[in-house]
Amino acid sequence: MRAEISSLFGLNVYTNAGTYVGKISDMVLDVNNRKVTGLAVSDINREIFDVPTKGVIIPYRWVITSSDIVIIRDLVNKFKKLEKEAYQE
Amino acid sequence: MAKVFAKNLSSKQVMTTDGTELGTLYNITMDLDTSELVDLMIRPDMNVDTSDFQKDDQYILLPFESVRAIKDYIVVDKKIAKGMQSSE
Repeated sequence: MRAEISSLFGLNVYTNAGTYVGKISDMVLDVNNRKVTGLAVSDINREIFDVPTKGVIIPYRWVITSSDIVIIRDLVNKFKKLEKEAYQE
Repeated sequence: MAKVFAKNLSSKQVMTTDGTELGTLYNITMDLDTSELVDLMIRPDMNVDTSDFQKDDQYILLPFESVRAIKDYIVVDKKIAKGMQSSE
């Protein structure tokens, strides 16, 4: 589906596990390869991002679908799982 | 020049490789599934003859392939822009 880039600004971003991630405030474009490479997300969920910055950049390859909201792959829990596995070993 | 923020581009002047100013960038369309950038939407200047271009309402549509450079201006290749249109 095609969309105007600015129509995505302000959309809420959630993971596929239902966790709120943030709001899209801008996009990172790779002009040479004619691709969108990232989402600049602000109003971020501080519980999953322990950063002092205003927002984060999320790689576009994590995006599963976007329409009224944007859903990204739930990497937060994945990292936790990996940590757990590593600990058990 | 690799990565730019979309908001930095909005309202940037668009110029063709022959030096003609076309107008200002209004928006960019993308393919949500492939993440590819598809078209530039340009708000044409008053004195620009828009009859040669593919249009959507008052905006000129140029394929993103025609972009040659983006810095202070967005430079587009007019030949490619028109060639693409006639091949469609």
